[in-house]
This record gives sequence, structure tokens and C-alpha cells, in this order.
Amino acid sequence: MSAASVPERGDHPTLPPAFAKALLALILFVAVPATLSGIGGGYLYQIATTALIFVILAASLNLVTGTAGLLSLGHAGFYGIGAYVAALLSTRLGASFLVTLPAAGAVAGAIGTLVALPTMRLVSIYFAVATLGIGEMIYVTLLNWTDFTRGPMGIRSIPDIEMLGWEPHSPMQQYLVVASVAAVSLWVLSRLTHSYFGNALRAVREDDQCASAMGLNVVHLKIVAFGASCCFAGIAGALLAHTANFISPDQFQFGESINILAMVVVGGLGSLPGAVIGALLLVILPEALRSVGDFRMIAIGSIMFFSILLLPKGLLGEASALSLLRRQFGEAWSGRPGPPVGWR
Amino acid sequence: MRISLLGALMGAAMAWAGSAAAQTGTIVIGYELPLSGDSSHYGEVFRNAADIKLQEFKDAGGMPGANIVLRYEDSKNDPKEARNIAQLFVDDKSIVGVLGDFSSTASMAAAEIYAKAGMPQLSQTASHPDFVKISKWQFRNITTQSYEGPFNAGWMHEMGVSKAAVVAIQNDWGLSCASNFADAFKAKGGTVTSIEYFNPGTRDFRSILTKIARAAPQAMYLCMFYEEGASFLQQRQELGVAAQVYGASSLFEDQLIKLAGPAANGLFLSSNFMPANPDPNVQKFVGEYKAKYGVVPNQFAAQAYDAMGIMLVALQKAGPKVTRDSLRDALAQTKDYPGVTGATTFDPVTREPQKSVVRMTISNGEYMVTQ
Amino acid sequence: MLDVYLAQQIVNGLSIGLVYALMAIGFTLIFGVLNVVNFAHGEVYMIGAFAGLMLITAAAPPLLAVVVIVLTVGAATGVGLERLAFKPFRRFRDEASLRSRAMREATLLSSLAVSIVTREAMRQIFGSSMQTIPQGYLLQHPIRIGVLSITDGDLIIFASSVVMLVALQFLLFRTRTGLSIRAVANSPLGAQFVGIDTDRAIMATFAIGSMLGATAGILVGLYTGTITPQMGFAPGIKAFVAMVMGGLSSIPGAVICALFLGVAESITTEFLASGWQDLVAYAFLIATLVFFPQGLFGVGRERA
Repeated sequence: MSAASVPERGDHPTLPPAFAKALLALILFVAVPATLSGIGGGYLYQIATTALIFVILAASLNLVTGTAGLLSLGHAGFYGIGAYVAALLSTRLGASFLVTLPAAGAVAGAIGTLVALPTMRLVSIYFAVATLGIGEMIYVTLLNWTDFTRGPMGIRSIPDIEMLGWEPHSPMQQYLVVASVAAVSLWVLSRLTHSYFGNALRAVREDDQCASAMGLNVVHLKIVAFGASCCFAGIAGALLAHTANFISPDQFQFGESINILAMVVVGGLGSLPGAVIGALLLVILPEALRSVGDFRMIAIGSIMFFSILLLPKGLLGEASALSLLRRQFGEAWSGRPGPPVGWR
Repeated sequence: MRISLLGALMGAAMAWAGSAAAQTGTIVIGYELPLSGDSSHYGEVFRNAADIKLQEFKDAGGMPGANIVLRYEDSKNDPKEARNIAQLFVDDKSIVGVLGDFSSTASMAAAEIYAKAGMPQLSQTASHPDFVKISKWQFRNITTQSYEGPFNAGWMHEMGVSKAAVVAIQNDWGLSCASNFADAFKAKGGTVTSIEYFNPGTRDFRSILTKIARAAPQAMYLCMFYEEGASFLQQRQELGVAAQVYGASSLFEDQLIKLAGPAANGLFLSSNFMPANPDPNVQKFVGEYKAKYGVVPNQFAAQAYDAMGIMLVALQKAGPKVTRDSLRDALAQTKDYPGVTGATTFDPVTREPQKSVVRMTISNGEYMVTQ
Repeated sequence: MLDVYLAQQIVNGLSIGLVYALMAIGFTLIFGVLNVVNFAHGEVYMIGAFAGLMLITAAAPPLLAVVVIVLTVGAATGVGLERLAFKPFRRFRDEASLRSRAMREATLLSSLAVSIVTREAMRQIFGSSMQTIPQGYLLQHPIRIGVLSITDGDLIIFASSVVMLVALQFLLFRTRTGLSIRAVANSPLGAQFVGIDTDRAIMATFAIGSMLGATAGILVGLYTGTITPQMGFAPGIKAFVAMVMGGLSSIPGAVICALFLGVAESITTEFLASGWQDLVAYAFLIATLVFFPQGLFGVGRERA
């Protein structure tokens, strides 16, 4: 049985993992700062920092929506929780970055798990609406609980990243800190995705009844995935708080959740490198199109539409499990050794 | 033509010209404002007014030795975008001062960057009490609610209102509008029955009106913008709520009357800009704006016009070789600037503007000054 | 304890709910058949309102004529939307793609992209502020029923929702088109096997659903006096929530839940504050889903 009847992307030439990682690290920590310093200006560093924050957001959303198949429409809410935790801890208690960052992640993850517990038995679209509701509830709380969050006034003059007395003295140093956090987050997320845990999530995504019949504790898996994803969203929020120095509830509305979802989809649901590329694209593109002025949003919407139309599985879409299996079996019957069943 | 592709191209050309011509005596003022998104109609009005003021300035001789140019960037009234634009402006060495943004949240997000980099920022509408406290680089020429609130409270007290309810939009402006009014009203011996906040975007106020009606105040004070105001006034008429309505200057907008129709009659409001004001400065501005854009300018246009004017006066004071520092110092010295929104002076210590306010009402479908 | 103000609040809530219900009807029809969320429904609603408004300012015809023409505009928009955003994703016929979650999300996101582009385009053309509506057309004349106050708009919207529901019931259960729509809703592959033209049925669904959506748009626009390019976004989300709460494929269920959401909102304003109304509405949603995972009136759906 040939694989030609199944529409799928060709195999990407894969680099040996260690080399790929070293290359990425090189780009992130050396090439980018060098180029940006050369061109000069804090503006580009700011874009780069924002892009990395959204990379973390997209990658974390990819874990729950792409790999586990649970469409989440409230991701911005947890991003907001992380940002507010970091902002409140540092402005009210003078906590350093080393405290606010993990605290933001922990609180966001805890609230995510709490929220996941009652809703995990819901099927796809019901779960999506529940997450939408949760995201909106978080926004409304941030906006109206004025005594605690200062409501629409926002929190200003949030201290910069401060660790054991050291503070970044230039945009490049701030960028390097953010890049390190992003690199570590991506590494953790990729370890989670390329592991038995990740495979189990994919099984749940493709067919949760089957997965359950095979002995996987579906509810437990979903809760852990959701909690982990919210934790990283919180971390991204903490980074936002310390780099922008000002946060307000209107930055964490439903529209932002849709933004992040668009990044994951454009890059390819289920594919971690896809989520990264999608995030980079959708952060850098609006800036590059700034000169187009009033037509920016139309241009972005059209790009989203055409990328979905022409590349429905995303730029680096993860091949569907069924097509991979079919190819594997096909190979087995014809006796030839096939490519290993694995995911990039 | 609403679509300002021309404007975008001009902006791009100016930006290119601005950065390229830094050596030939071109002074660039950056202007961040919402040109797309929900607040785009405000941004357009700012741009129109600023363009008129700059043209007026050039027609009157301009500044010898320097060519002043405006560079507009669209912030969509989004703090994220405002930050990016702020960084963009700060990086451009030919930009010595910045006007904008529209809302306090966007202005404050940008302010953090201007404060760090040392760029003077003058906002025509940011009224958050903390805005000028961020650093010495922030200025604004709009009356804060700390002035308007007590003004309206005194007015209502004079008219015999002892019980009032407040309806305010849940954003930084609405919060300060409501609290300033409520404090002043209570200080005069009045009772505030309740302060009802509503989320931005709400257009259905019947639940709030019904809730207020139960407490039966004599008047309601509205801290909202003209779109919500129009819906509120219509629904008030629908439900037959008897309480009178007073409002802040944010309701001074011709569109309010067009949208609300006869329901708008009887609204009392404060304002610092009156197109019918016989003052020659005001009439000149109104005439020019009407000739070029076909409509009478509203208060927001007047604010932007004055902001641009204050910036130009400061530029002249700082001399043909302007730096960001010298511009900031010149702005801080603004005294009795004859603006269309009233004479403006920046307090030497707090940099808060001191202005004058008038009482107005809507009667027979028109705004008019009242006692 | 039921004093006149509380009763008025309930009436307020019901009229808010009717607005959501009006939009939920068309929305649920499309979702029920295609099993995809049509994020662009809010934009069809908005286009209906603008089309009606342009007609009114140009020719000032009687309200009924406006409604009829808006119905046609709505149908045309719906068909256009379907061709643009949904049909291209039906080109994959193999099983793997049909079952692939990525494909389903793709249609969701393509409708989202189309809605963004449409909204922004309308904003470019008309500006984002509220459009002026000739006073004579506003459906806001108050009507007193005892001590309670409603408007003629409330009655008109109520009447329209009843007419829509009845008409839909008739269409779905008494006509051939309705039969083919129900068949496709039940099983697209199966319907193809028995010779039903699924493309036509899907097109018909979109046409009908969008007709209803566009009419909802113009009626609500005249009722609230608010016609802006972003008017479809918030009611769209509430309609979506109402649909899910009601049990995806049940149109009457969606209507009832929409009414419930409206009343919950006004009661929240009465006892707490207007700012929290969304939170209460969503809390009800989550509570409902936790105790009724299929929605309140949902029939057992094949696993999504």
C-alpha cells in the first residue's frame, strides 16, 4: 500500500539532535545579540525579547492543544496570572526575580491544575468553551478586584530583573536573561513532548477511548499536561512584567488567547519547532509591516488565512499518527526497513 | 478618503526623511496615537488637529534654522504597541520630543521607556493621576479629574442635589473621575448612593439604571465617553428614570447628540472647549478645522491642537539646536499658553496643568453654555 | 421580596438574553450540521446590520422591507463565507485527514482569520465609531406594562425569535432540504453514500444560518442603537456559550440557555456590580458543564 494516497509532508532532513541544539543555542545567545548590537537600538532588542516571551507562550500552548489535543482558549488568563503574581510580589514585597519567576509559574500552574480538575472529563468543544470561560473569568477578576490588583490602573514601575543584586544594564543583558529562560523552558517542553509522556498525550489526542483501554490514565495525563502548560504561561507572564515594567488587565483578554492560538496553528499543531516559528512570525511580522499602517491587521489576518488554507497542517505540521502508522505497516509488509517511528 | 494610505506613505517618507536629514537641521516630533483599532476615531482627530497646528506654525514663518516634522506611529491604543513605538522613537536620534498616547495605560506603558531613555513626552489626553509621577519627562495638558470632579460636585450642590449616584467606566480615567467627584461631593455634605462601574464595551445599562432607580437619587454623574453616554441616555429615557444627569467633559461630542437624539436634552456637563467661544484663537481653529475636514472640531481635537502648540512654543524657546534635555526644560516652563482649551500653565513642581472649566448643557439638540 | 425593581431587572435580563438567543439560533444551526465553530458568524451579524443601515439611509423603506432585503444579503454572505473559509478544507477526503484534529482546528481558525479580515476591512471603510441611525427606525419606544417597562424592540425581537424557531422547525422537519441537512448533520459520509449532495446541503445550512444571523444583526442594531464593526464579537461569544450550555445540537436548548445567561447578568448587576456579570455567566457555564457534560439538553453526541 503506497503512502501516495495520504497527503502528507515530505520528511524533513533531520540534523542529529545534539548538533541542532548546539546550533540553536549559538543562534540564540551569540548570533542574535551580535547582529542586534551591530544594527544598534533598543527597539530591535525589545522585539526580540517580546518574540521570545511569545515563543514560550506558544510552546506551552502547543503542549496542551497540539500534543494533547485539548483546545484551550483561555491561555492568556494564565499568562496574566503569572504577570500579576510577579508584579505584585516585586512591587509589594520587593521580591527578586529569582523568587518572582518560579512563584509566577507555580501559582499559574496551581490555578491551572485546580481549574483542570473539574473540567477534564469534558470532551473537546465543551472543554474549549470551559477554558474560554475561565480565561474571561480571570480577566474580569483582574479588572474588577481593584483592591488587590489595582484593576484598570494596572501596576506600574515594576522593577527590572534583579537577581542577587545584579540588574541588567543594557537591553542586550536583559535579552540574554530572557533568552536563557526561554531556552530552558523550550528544553523542558521538548523533553516533555519527546518522551513516553508525550507519546501518551498523543495517544490521548488521537483517540482517548483507545488510550484509556490501553491502560493510560487519561484524566491524570490531561491534568498534568494542562498544569504544566499553565505553569510556563505564568513564567512568560513574569518575564513580561519585568521587561515591560507596566501591566494592565487589558493585555490579557480573549483576543490575546486567540493570538497565541494562531501562532501555534500557523506553525503546526503538535509541532514544537512549528510553535516557535509561528510565534516568531506573528510577533515580528506586525512590526515589519508597521509601515503599512492602517492595513496591518488586514494583512495579518490574510496571512493567517492563506497559511491555513495552503498549509493546513501548519508550516512544520506534525504528521498525523495514522499516516505514520500506515507507512510503517506498509513498509513492514513489503519487507523493507522503514524510517523509525518518531516525531521531530 | 478615510483610508489614509497616503498618510501612511507620507509617514513612511517623513520617517525616512527624518532619519536621513538629521544632519540638515530637521527636528522630528514623534506622535504615537491610535490610527487603527477601537480608538481609531480619536487618533484621526488628533492627527488632523496636529497637522493644522503645524501648518499654521509654518505659515506664520516657522522656526528659522530648523524644519519641524511630525512622525506618526499607530499604537492602536495598545500598551504593547505603545512600548514598541516608544523604543522606536527613542532609538531615532532626530526625534527630540514625543506627543501621545491616547489612553493612560498606553501612555504609561510608553512612559516607562521614555523615562529610562530621557525623552520628553506630552500626552494630550492621559489623565491617570500617576502619569506625571513616573518621571520628570512626562507632561500632559488635559485637566485631571482632580479639578473637574470638585467642579461638578460644587455645581450639583449649588443646584440643590443632595443624593447622587455615579456611573463610571472601569478604566483608569473612570476610576479617578468617580473617586474625585465622590470625595468632593461628600465633602460638601452630599450622599453618594452608589458608584456603579461597568466594563469597557458595555452598551446595555438598563440593569444599572434599574439598580440606581431603587435608591432614587436626584441626579446621576456620568464618567464615560460619548458612545456609552448616548446609549445610557437613551436607555434612561426608555426606563423613565427621573434623576437628572451630569457628566464630565468626555461627553462633549457632537456625535452624542446625533446618536442619542432627543434623549440627550437636559444633560449637564463641564467642558474646557466650546466651539462657539468668541475668543479669536478658538474661532481660528474652528474655522480652519471645519474648512479642511468639514466638521466642527471636538474637545479631543482641541486638546491635540493645544498639545502641538505647547510643544512648538517649547521648541522655539529651546532654540534652533534642540536637545531632549533642553526641550524638557522648555516644556516645564510653559506658562499661560493661550490654548483653545483655556490658558494652560504647567505647575513648576508637579508639572500638572492648570486650566479653566465651564458649565454646559444640551438643549434642543445643541450644546450651550449655561450657569 | 419581588419588588418592582427586581421584576424590572428580570425583564431586563430576559431582553438581554433574547438578543443572545437571536444570534445563537443561526450559530447552533451551522455548528450542529458541520461540527465546526463558525467564528465568522458574528461578522455576518454585523454585515447584516450595516447592510440594513445603508438601505435605511439610502431609501428609507418600511422595516419589513429592510428585513427581507437583509435576509437576502445574509444568505449571500453566508454562501460566500462558506465558499471562502470552509469549502477548501473539504478537499481532503481520506480518513486520516477527516479524523485529524488539525483539520478541524484549521476550519475554526480559517473562519477566525476571515472574521478578523472582514472586521478590519469594515473598520477601514466605516470607521470604528457608532453609526448614526435615523431616529424613526430606532426600536426604542418604551411600552409600559403595569409598572414594568419594555420597548417595542423587545416585542419585535421576541416575535422574530419565535418566528425563526417555528420556521426552522418547519424547514428541518418538513422539507427535503431540511431532510438533507439533518442527514449531513448525522453523518456526512453516510449522506454521501445515499446520494445526497452534501455540498448543496452545507451551502443551504450556511445560507439559512447566516440569514438568521444577519436579521438578528439589523434588529439588535436598531434596538440598541449601536452599529459598529465590532458589534458581533461579544454577542458571538455569548451565543457560543449558550449553545454549548444548551447541548450543542439543540436549538431550543441554546435559546433557553441564552435567556438564562441574560437574566444571570442582570441579577449580578443588581446584587454585585455590573463588572462581574461576565464572571457569573461563565461560572454558570462551567458549573453546568461539570454536572451535565453534554450540556443541559444535549442528546448523546458521537464522540467529537
